[in-house]
Amino acid sequence: MDNIAGTKSSLTWAVHISVVVLVAMWVLPTLGLFVSSFRTGDQIVGSGWWQSLTTQEQQLSPIRIEGDETETNGAFVIEGNLFGNARTTISSWGTSSREPEAYEPGQTAELGDGVTVTVQADGGYVLSSPVTTAGERLPRIFASATTPPEFTTDNYKTVLFSPLAGQTIFQAFMNTATVAIPATIIPILIAAFAAYALAWMEFPGRALLVAAIVGLLVVPLQLALIPLLQFHNWLGIGKGYLGIWMAHTGFGLPLAIYLLRNYMVGLPRDIIENAKVDGATDFQIFTKIILPLSFPALASFAIFQFLWTWNDLLVALVFLGTGNDQQVLTGNLVNLMGSRGGDWEILSASAFVSIAVPLLVFFALQRFLVRGLLAGSVK
Amino acid sequence: MKSRLIVGTAVLALLSGGASAQDLKFPVGEGAFNWDSYKAFDEAFNLEGQSITMFGPWRGEDQVLVESMLAYFTAASGVTVNYSSSENYEQQIVIDTQAGSPPDIAILPQPGLIADLASKGFITPLGADTETWLRENYAAGESWVGLGTYAGADGAAALYAFPYKIDVKSLVWYVPENFEDAGYEVPQTMEELKALTDKIVADGGTPWCIGLGSGGATGWPATDWVEDMMLRTQSPETYDKWVKHEIGFNDPAVVGAIDEFGYFAKNDAYVAGGAAAVASTDFRDSPKGLFSSPPQCYMHRQASFIPSFFPEGTELGTDADFFYFPAYEGKDLGKPVLGAGTLAFITKDSEASRAFIEWLKTPIAHEVWMAQSGFLTPLTSANAELYGNAALKKQGEILTSATTFRFDGSDLMPGAVGAGTFWTGMVDYTSGKTAQEVADTIDSSWPK
Amino acid sequence: MNPAIQALLTILIGVGGCLFYFYGSNLVLDKVLFPPRGPNAGRNINRANQIRPWLFLLPAIIALGLYLAYPVFATAWLSLNRQTGASSTFVGFANYSRMMSEDKFWESMTNNMLWLIVVPAASTAFGLLAAQLTDRIKWGNIAKSLIFMPMAISFVGASVIWKLIYDTKPADQAQIGALNAIWMNFDGGIGSVLLLKVLPALLLLIIIGGLGWLAWSMLRPILRGSEDRGGLFLMLLRLIVVAVSAWLIFTLARMLAGVFVADLPYGQPQTWLSLPFWNNFFLMAVLVWIQTGFAMVILSAALRGVPEDTIEAAIIDGANPFQIFFKIKVPQIMGTIVVVWTTITIVVLKVFDIVLAMTNGQWETQVLANYMYDKLFRANDWGVGSASAMVIMLLVTPILVWNVYNARKEMR
Repeated sequence: MDNIAGTKSSLTWAVHISVVVLVAMWVLPTLGLFVSSFRTGDQIVGSGWWQSLTTQEQQLSPIRIEGDETETNGAFVIEGNLFGNARTTISSWGTSSREPEAYEPGQTAELGDGVTVTVQADGGYVLSSPVTTAGERLPRIFASATTPPEFTTDNYKTVLFSPLAGQTIFQAFMNTATVAIPATIIPILIAAFAAYALAWMEFPGRALLVAAIVGLLVVPLQLALIPLLQFHNWLGIGKGYLGIWMAHTGFGLPLAIYLLRNYMVGLPRDIIENAKVDGATDFQIFTKIILPLSFPALASFAIFQFLWTWNDLLVALVFLGTGNDQQVLTGNLVNLMGSRGGDWEILSASAFVSIAVPLLVFFALQRFLVRGLLAGSVK
Repeated sequence: MKSRLIVGTAVLALLSGGASAQDLKFPVGEGAFNWDSYKAFDEAFNLEGQSITMFGPWRGEDQVLVESMLAYFTAASGVTVNYSSSENYEQQIVIDTQAGSPPDIAILPQPGLIADLASKGFITPLGADTETWLRENYAAGESWVGLGTYAGADGAAALYAFPYKIDVKSLVWYVPENFEDAGYEVPQTMEELKALTDKIVADGGTPWCIGLGSGGATGWPATDWVEDMMLRTQSPETYDKWVKHEIGFNDPAVVGAIDEFGYFAKNDAYVAGGAAAVASTDFRDSPKGLFSSPPQCYMHRQASFIPSFFPEGTELGTDADFFYFPAYEGKDLGKPVLGAGTLAFITKDSEASRAFIEWLKTPIAHEVWMAQSGFLTPLTSANAELYGNAALKKQGEILTSATTFRFDGSDLMPGAVGAGTFWTGMVDYTSGKTAQEVADTIDSSWPK
Repeated sequence: MNPAIQALLTILIGVGGCLFYFYGSNLVLDKVLFPPRGPNAGRNINRANQIRPWLFLLPAIIALGLYLAYPVFATAWLSLNRQTGASSTFVGFANYSRMMSEDKFWESMTNNMLWLIVVPAASTAFGLLAAQLTDRIKWGNIAKSLIFMPMAISFVGASVIWKLIYDTKPADQAQIGALNAIWMNFDGGIGSVLLLKVLPALLLLIIIGGLGWLAWSMLRPILRGSEDRGGLFLMLLRLIVVAVSAWLIFTLARMLAGVFVADLPYGQPQTWLSLPFWNNFFLMAVLVWIQTGFAMVILSAALRGVPEDTIEAAIIDGANPFQIFFKIKVPQIMGTIVVVWTTITIVVLKVFDIVLAMTNGQWETQVLANYMYDKLFRANDWGVGSASAMVIMLLVTPILVWNVYNARKEMR
């Protein structure tokens, strides 16, 4: 279509570059969090995630000297290394918060009363004292150091394997799956029948029903919470899995019916009419013809509903509860964020745990999603 | 996909196993604990097979602590306790009680919210015996009874909630070595504190870290500041009138207290990151400035729970410590202390729920927690020697040497103010509005 | 019982039960109630066919009625009552007038208007752009899935992601928030003026121009008293669009002036989420980021559906690619654009998680859905909370009416 010779290649380049910019804008936020989740807390607050691949020079948090004391030649000596890894290099150090860069590596600092401390560039230190330092407060070392790029999976280990109390993340994961799977399948089934009736059966009040369903699409969920929980209590099912499955079914239906009906209306009329002429009942037409043909739409709604139930927090809190065998993944992570809220390393890792499954499901099934959406909304 | 997921969950179920029953933290009969009270309770209650659900504010590490206490209750009474919590527990308890599926026992830090629930008839009164018990066994018992007494659905006042676990809020946290390095002394009066603040600025440092950010509850740390300042500039009686709205929120006394907070928070030189950063810095992030190098700030005013948010491995007493947020020497208001606490109440009456309230009356229910961390109690029969660390002991001393103790005012005010406009008003204040403007807005939002 | 097994059983019982219901009820209808045999066979078939749709619809209607319609009516009733203690009294519209007298409510309304215009417009525009561009390159599908990816991320996750971007550190420390890191590179030189003053001004001018054109094209038929006016409703709709665009043009013009007058605080790290007025846009960016993928996927399909011959005809007439896009393609997919716009509008009205998690409506960022949540569960004021819920429902009415109008047209 680019018939104007000469501009074609430059235009194509412009398109490529624009798409790269767009994709970057949409991917970078997530990527930033992803990279951060593999860095230590110090690294995250010390430099932007985009600098994680370069060597960093920064002021480290003060590290207190610790170790076993040995007595040699009348001096009590503690030796050790400030860092767990050997690749950090100290450029200057100090023992006072006022002068954190007072000494070069290898220099010896006098702390008074004959106590001296020497710190090497690799973080090795020697503290020497004429009297025993046992039971006393040992000095802190302030160090400016360059740290080569380093990544860790510790954040994920913390999030996944060391629950602070009660619930493990696996338990939460399982609870979420228990909520999400039935809450995805049941509404689809109910919606498919209703959508077929609204699309292909003649009865009075059909237009009104379609309109009502569109209207219900916008009911704010929050105002339904208490009347419905009251209703569940009246029924006697209270808070629990049965309740949340029913709630998700109710809340998911309008969109399901809306999407499926739009899709089914678009199916070729002659197939259905031929089947009717051949004596098929509506039920047979529905199961034998409509359902198989609607597969893309069904799949796309299934993905939507699955993502929504998996990512949901509010409905789960209200209808399911927060016990160990009920709390869902999002609830668990929000609690974690509350108790460890200031720690970016924990926040980022836990956020990623929560979005991993939806992302997997999404990438695995996205072709159905796209196909179904297209069919449902383009006429 | 579906089947694969189910297999996945089944495997995970196997991997995770059941949560093992919690062991008793301290062996029964050992140490300075009041084991007699435990044994007496054990003999008096045999409710094997019963269970209660409990909803509280403690999550994470605090949940481990409360569950260690509950394990003793279960061992003694036979009642299984299902404790749970969630980030938005205030909203959750409202939804659950309104809808008619409350837990058996709820524990909340907001008397104002509990009063609201009581007035709607969702809570069972604890009875005259408990009231007498509190009066006799809690230090300053009368004030604790007052804290848990509300008007019920019938309009009659009765004891509805049992105070259990208190926190001291009038604390300033600092790093002793940073003070030593710079040659600063712990201030004993508000005048000295203000002088120290100026001295730090003169030395090229930043005195304070203040952070009000708390997600949906952003602003609450400032309410503690204002309450502390109220107690340091006005009489306790004025404080009570303020909380009960007998004087307006825009009364000059209150506006003055807000401006006292502004003295510290609205001065760019006094606060790390400048005044603009105050409202948006997360309160959990804020104390970290004490520990950076060079220090971003030297002092941080926050309640006794804040060490949970210090960097990992911080040792209280060595790496960080606290002092009493001092009072004005020139004002003759004594040594006021602002505190907060949690109150337990029965939302579903049963033998087991009643037994739990009885359990809270035993010294052992307090001692098990105080021997670990983060727990202060006004119960006189609990053994103060058991406090798990020096910091707790020191807080206990601050509490006992206080001439005035007042409960966190924002928790006593109606939710619309205490958990609403007071918070947002303080954010507006730090973002530039004047104290008078803010106080007027808050006053007009007081439910009529 | 293990919840996993319970879930498995539920799937079996639920799915089995549904199938049994649909199959069984059909069977009963055809074999027992109105068998298509005997003397009344013909009448029976007709009767059965009258009843069958309701059999198909019954479970859905029950679920919808209970879970969505009933709460709407319950809320409407609650909004007319005032709860004091355990009792509630009918107070008419007192809750509404109480709500109207609150500044926060009007702040929410204004912000919501901004959200309702900016988010659907930006998502649709970006979606259209992405759709058009990715359709023309080989790796377009990969690009599409990457842009679509945020749809799969929960609001909890999204707010963590964006909080990291908006993070602020004091000026003497390294910025870890991407936005501040970029911002700190501007120093007030010529580059800063070009990027931060001229570029935004140009963008604003373009938007103002577009809005002016829209308002004019809506107004023209009314002024002319044209013959194709679609009744009172359409006329009203046109007037609303004109009013809204006029308001927007005014706001944007003020922003335009502001862009030049503003003395930008170069070198100062900004706390983005507490910058009055602009922080709304930082919150909206999150939702635009999530919704663009949705718009893109649907619009891309619509673009592919544009008949080739119309495009070829345009090429022969010498149209350049921009003309083809705006004059040929966009008008043909107008229907789909409206569908996308509507869907995103509905999402915007319901969104509260982002605001709750990032600012909780402070620094003048309140929106209606969060205002309602605040009133319901924090202030325990059911009257005003329900009243604000009804306002949200009311804002949706134009969309509802439009859909009824469309559905009826389709039925005919």
